[in-house]
Amino acid sequence: MLLKIANFAHDNWLGWAANSGVPWLWPACETLHFIGLALLMGCIGVYDLRMMGFLKGLEIGPLRKLMPWGIFGFVLNLVTGAIFFAGNPYQYIRNWVFGYKLLFIVLAGVNVIVYYTSGLDKQIAGLGAGADVPRGAKLVAAASLVLWIGVIFWGRMMPFLGNAF
Amino acid sequence: MTLLTSLEQSAFCAWVRESGSLFAYPGILFLHTLGLAMLVGPNAAIDLRILGVGPELSLGPMRSLLRLMWTGFWINAVTGSILLVSDASTKLANPAFAVKMVLIALAMIDVFLIKRFVFRTAAPEPQRARSLVKVLAIVSLVLWTGAITAGRLMAYFGQDSGAPEFINKIGG
Repeated sequence: MLLKIANFAHDNWLGWAANSGVPWLWPACETLHFIGLALLMGCIGVYDLRMMGFLKGLEIGPLRKLMPWGIFGFVLNLVTGAIFFAGNPYQYIRNWVFGYKLLFIVLAGVNVIVYYTSGLDKQIAGLGAGADVPRGAKLVAAASLVLWIGVIFWGRMMPFLGNAF
Repeated sequence: MTLLTSLEQSAFCAWVRESGSLFAYPGILFLHTLGLAMLVGPNAAIDLRILGVGPELSLGPMRSLLRLMWTGFWINAVTGSILLVSDASTKLANPAFAVKMVLIALAMIDVFLIKRFVFRTAAPEPQRARSLVKVLAIVSLVLWTGAITAGRLMAYFGQDSGAPEFINKIGG
């Protein structure tokens, strides 16, 4: 099953290009992956910190306007990550560290769904500087920050703990 | 033998390079990435706001992000110094490293200028100052993009230790 997914991802022009067919593609995607990381953490991480009660001078409602750029960073990393996978899927599919990275990304996604469906976003929209958010939002924020830092951790550990590269 | 090469041969640097401990090379590299997120992330948020994203968000209180950014800067100055001395002879010969250092220095000068022109102006600034600040924000985004690119390319211009068998796939 995993091998089939890997073959499917790899046996096409993108897999060829990312593997070595287009030599600059891998380092270019690595660079974009870090830029995406900075955007995600700069926009969503800062919002998480504000929800948790740090940086209270920031106007929390309007701070949500930065969110699309954090999402852009995430999409950038999803696309470049998919290119890495296509380039060399076999180093990821049997790598438990990669499994944890994916798990943390999925949990962060669930956390985002909880944030929007529970109505927390609407409650926060009208809040300004100095305002406290509901306790539920603080929990969502702490979970988000821990999960994204975890994603960075697992990503960085891939060559060391798992058997990638 | 220079100071750096003697440091490189110290027991601590040997531990960082060769111990295989999670707290050595891998952990330091992780902290270096976290520092990047704390420094470049909020700086990008300030730059985007200056460039017109979320105009209803007041720019003034974003000043409080500077402390987070400086924390990230010092985390990376320390972890980066450890990564440098552990590999001093290869990293100092790496052209991408020199480019990275210059770009970071310029980006931090830009942080000072943004602080000076955005966060220290009490009165509503005249049009000319506003366009100057926008230039600073664009320059900041370009410099950080360049610094990240140069940092990433270090792994392709020279060899890193910490995982010698994975030549040219990882790096600081």
